[in-house]
Amino acid sequence: MTITEDSLAAADHGEHALLELRNICKYFGNVTALENITTRVEAGKVTCVLGDNGAGKSTFIKILSGVHQPSSGEYTMYGTPVHFTTPRDARNAGIAAVFQDLALAPLLSVWRNFFLGVEPMRGILMRSAFMKKTAKEEMAKMGIDLRDVDQPVGTLSGGERQSVAIARAVYFGARVLILDEPTSALGVKQSGVVLKYTRAAADRGLGVIFITHNPNHAIPVGDRFLLLNRGHSLGDFAKDEISRTELTRLMAGGAELEQLEHEIGIR
Amino acid sequence: MRRWLISPEIGALIGAVIVWAFFWGNGRTFGEADTTLNWLDVAAPTGIMATAVALLMIGGEFDLSSGVITGATAIQIGLVSRFFMGDGVNIGWAIGSAFLAAAAIGWFNGFMVNKTGLPSFIVTLASFFTLRGVMLVISKRLVGKVQVDQITEQEGATFFKNWIAHEWRFTEFAIRDNVFLGLVFVGAAAFIYGLLEQSFIRRAAINTVGVGMAIVGLIAAIGGFTGLLRTDGVGNNALFTIIALVGVAVAIVGTALARWVTRMRASSDGLPPEATRRLGLGIGCVALACLIPIPFDRRQGQAILTWTSSGLRPVLAILGAIVGIVLAIRAILPEMREKKKTASGFGKLTMFAIYSGLLVMTLLICFLQLTTVQALRAISMLILSGAGLTLLMLARGIAGRGSKKWQLIIGLLVAAAIVVLAFVIRADSGAVRFRTGLFGAMMIGAMAIAANTLVEFFMEKRTHADTTADRLGKRLQLIGGGMAFTGLIIRLVWSNLTPEHAAQVKAAGGSVGQNVLRQTVVWWLLVAAIGSFVLVKSKWGNWIFAVGGNKEAARAVGVPANQVKVGLFVTVSLCGCLAGTLIALRYGTVQANQGTGLEFEYIIAAVVGGCLLTGGYGSVVGAGLGSAIMAISVVGVQTTPWNSDGRFAFLGGVLLLAVLVNNFIRKKAQEAR
Repeated sequence: MTITEDSLAAADHGEHALLELRNICKYFGNVTALENITTRVEAGKVTCVLGDNGAGKSTFIKILSGVHQPSSGEYTMYGTPVHFTTPRDARNAGIAAVFQDLALAPLLSVWRNFFLGVEPMRGILMRSAFMKKTAKEEMAKMGIDLRDVDQPVGTLSGGERQSVAIARAVYFGARVLILDEPTSALGVKQSGVVLKYTRAAADRGLGVIFITHNPNHAIPVGDRFLLLNRGHSLGDFAKDEISRTELTRLMAGGAELEQLEHEIGIR
Repeated sequence: MRRWLISPEIGALIGAVIVWAFFWGNGRTFGEADTTLNWLDVAAPTGIMATAVALLMIGGEFDLSSGVITGATAIQIGLVSRFFMGDGVNIGWAIGSAFLAAAAIGWFNGFMVNKTGLPSFIVTLASFFTLRGVMLVISKRLVGKVQVDQITEQEGATFFKNWIAHEWRFTEFAIRDNVFLGLVFVGAAAFIYGLLEQSFIRRAAINTVGVGMAIVGLIAAIGGFTGLLRTDGVGNNALFTIIALVGVAVAIVGTALARWVTRMRASSDGLPPEATRRLGLGIGCVALACLIPIPFDRRQGQAILTWTSSGLRPVLAILGAIVGIVLAIRAILPEMREKKKTASGFGKLTMFAIYSGLLVMTLLICFLQLTTVQALRAISMLILSGAGLTLLMLARGIAGRGSKKWQLIIGLLVAAAIVVLAFVIRADSGAVRFRTGLFGAMMIGAMAIAANTLVEFFMEKRTHADTTADRLGKRLQLIGGGMAFTGLIIRLVWSNLTPEHAAQVKAAGGSVGQNVLRQTVVWWLLVAAIGSFVLVKSKWGNWIFAVGGNKEAARAVGVPANQVKVGLFVTVSLCGCLAGTLIALRYGTVQANQGTGLEFEYIIAAVVGGCLLTGGYGSVVGAGLGSAIMAISVVGVQTTPWNSDGRFAFLGGVLLLAVLVNNFIRKKAQEAR
């Protein structure tokens, strides 16, 4: 059975969130990877998932994108429970993950990368003219004017590369976009570029899950914040329920950070 | 243009042209039909394999068993047909079994690479040794020696030989000359007409005087060229040459006068002093270039500078050449800088190519002839006449800004100088090829300059855009250029040995071959075409690039990465089997070590063709050109008087050079965005 986002959206009457997680747990044998995670993703909103290394962010993404299955808990789209067994299922349901390594081939041109794996064909020929035109248009919609879609992706800046991956996910019908640490490898300016495109994607009606360990990147774009620490949820807040200081404090480990400050004598 | 420059095969293309031109100039029979067929025949098996190996390399893997598989499959065909099938069973079953076995080996290679995650050269090295061992053991056990013969005596072998490994024999290529002339003539006419159409304003009514001139010129041109053809060879008949070229110039001017608006005569100013200086210097240089042959006799073969040690001479020669070239470039550099703002990237690149070509050529002459009298003569003539003509052209450009009349005079002077130099070279050169070829090229160049100068003098330049005329002009240029180029290639590559020349070659100890075109070449072109099509135009090509460039990324977006790799390994093995079948059918005898060591040649061909060793980038066409380069150098060296073992050193140089040129151009082109 293939679940498509359209059938789910049609069955819903606007009363449920695009995507909802309730009390999700994941165990690997004796190891607890995630416990009682609850959050929601709404269309046109950005849900930020914050957490330090080892907080369970990767497991969280893998559950969302169908790589892992939750051990317990409820995973719903438009109020209907879904069970993804492969990444392909999740993709068919409109959940697209843009991973840190971007899933781009650096020496391949922009348009070839854009359609990689889903090349439109006419007989045995790729429709290259259509592909070039579409890639250029879709990048323009993200606010990037490419002079030459034939240039290798490797010649683009880090932020532009992220936006190729985002534009690709959007074009292929993603309803939910999962961005895995899109700013972690970038400088200040390029991070700003990515944040702009993240917001642009949300403004086009997508639900965005933005995963980061940097609260300064999460605050400007986020509408909802899920904080993770060692597999546990530190809270799931809407934007007006939490202040910037509180978020930073929780994110940095709260009491642990105070302890650390005390130990190394920062005043 | 730029897209073409950043394509991976550009280095190989330049390399192939240089290598070909090098042997065309130095080899005694290189460029004749039989040598061309010969190197195509050598290139074909390598080319078939290089196509597959290039695809695999783009997909990020190597196959070190790719050489030995050609031998293994050939041996399998021989052994199966002789020992494992009853008498009278068709050899086709043996061939089929070899293809199946090859597919299985390819699948095994791919499967092992995917399963174990080991580097592919380890896995395929294991296959290489295993296959080699099995081949030797089985053929020794069954035949008692390390070769399998009598393959072509098996049932049905003749049938397969006729349909898979056919040989076409030609005695001559008689229509070649006519095709060449027709193509070049019609192509050049279309090209020139397109050029004129793009630059001038159309008349309301056609000018009858112009039409008359054009017709007379055309008749003279056709008559002249026909006469030339009858007397065989461009260099043999000066009268016909001049009639033909003057006819062409008159025809061009006549056509221009007939079709387009003539110019108002403007009052002419005098000649500016900087033009005068360059004019004087230019005439002096050309005159000196014409006089050089008198003191240095070309039959005088001994070395000059007898007091130096022989090791020092090439160094001195190279230093001298570098000094000359540096001086020449320094003279032109200010001019180039001035033009930098207006000149297109292509123009600059062309200039760069011309100068570096000149440098390489001069260095080669110096090195090969080791400061003999001839070398000194050739170099000084080349530099003097080059500098003289450049100065004259510069003077023409400067004069053209002030006075159209002086531009006309100096332009015609340039043409005349080229004609004079052409005759000097013809009377004086030792090499037949350069004597006739260079003479013809220079005469055509003189004609083009003269016609251009006259047309510029008489015609009004169009400054506004005219869409229909521009489009027509562009199309005509493209079509005409293509035709003329094809004609020229046909002439250069398929020329026949004249009986006198053949006798000369035989007397000098060279061999004159037969014109045999083998079907292997057809297979090569077919495999390369399919490979190139798949790589560039189909989604599988996209997947191959992606799997080689970033396997995890490709997998993440749904590309079946493991299947792609297995498919590539199987392709390599199947192509190896095709090559092996062709070998078995052609010779009827296969050595047990057939193909061993060839895997590196395939890899070199692919790398020369622009494939990255790390995967994710490259081209099939480039790999084909790479195998052509290797074949040309193997066959080319045999047509020269040099030791043919030197080709390995030559290959090494070509490999390094092609890769460097590739990287350099790609970097430049990507910077230019």
